[in-house]
Amino acid sequence: MTISSQNIAPGTEFRTAPRPMTRERMRWYVDAQPTIAADDGRIHTQPPTIHDDDAYARSQGLPGIISDGMISTNWIQGLLCDVFGIAMVSRSSLRTKYIAPIYEDQIVIAVAKVTAVTATAGGQPSYALDVWCEDDTGKKLTVGQATLVAG
Amino acid sequence: MAIGQYTSDLEPGDILGPVEYTLSPFVVREYCHANELHQPFFQGRQDEIVMPPTLIHLDKLRLYKHACPKGTGPSARIHYEYDCTVHEAVKVGARLSVSGTVRERFTKRGREHIVVEMELRSADDGRLLIAYRDTVLVAFKPAGGAA
Repeated sequence: MTISSQNIAPGTEFRTAPRPMTRERMRWYVDAQPTIAADDGRIHTQPPTIHDDDAYARSQGLPGIISDGMISTNWIQGLLCDVFGIAMVSRSSLRTKYIAPIYEDQIVIAVAKVTAVTATAGGQPSYALDVWCEDDTGKKLTVGQATLVAG
Repeated sequence: MAIGQYTSDLEPGDILGPVEYTLSPFVVREYCHANELHQPFFQGRQDEIVMPPTLIHLDKLRLYKHACPKGTGPSARIHYEYDCTVHEAVKVGARLSVSGTVRERFTKRGREHIVVEMELRSADDGRLLIAYRDTVLVAFKPAGGAA
């Protein structure tokens, strides 16, 4: 789904469906890291982390496993890709700050709100957005900004 | 200079890399699968797919492995801030060069932060493709206190 840029004005807000941050989602990201490092077509795993091992997380001062922040950044990026298409990976910026841990099964909703629409020197629409992830109570977990040039 | 030790030892001015590699479709698809990014330009045919900009974060691990072979150090790192600017889409099959510089190390509210700035460039002509600034906490527990 890529939405026509004609429909996007300041104040327009986009939201993902609510997703629970399950243990499996956290582990997928953990396992992706050594798998990508090896780049040999097979799945690889790594020693216990704060994202997939409760005992290890507790040893680090946490109450249990927490999500890797990059998952919420990727869910924001995915929302922007759904809205703006390949422009998000071509000429863009994304900044995210992890202001609260995301615990197992906490509900996460990625949100992007357009704050400005301008034009580049070449006449292409340029968008600025506030982005964040919130839980199902509206508490913000990850906050940031994005910019991108469409077309 | 803390190169060759643990990532928790990194100091401002330390240079990480450069490391060269070729972006494979396996890497893009696996990363996107793990993050539920199912757009066709991530999961489609090999000649159509591009790098998700967030994958630059794993290039940091590539640099750490190269520069800090002893590993993380005594505590698990906590990612605090991601700040990425994309100048050009990066296509699968591209030969890439990634490098980084440790810019800052500071303590805020009892927690040590390390800031690394990275650049992903075309290995062929040096063109800047992605710039990234990464901020981590060296440990969740504040120094000298409980979390």
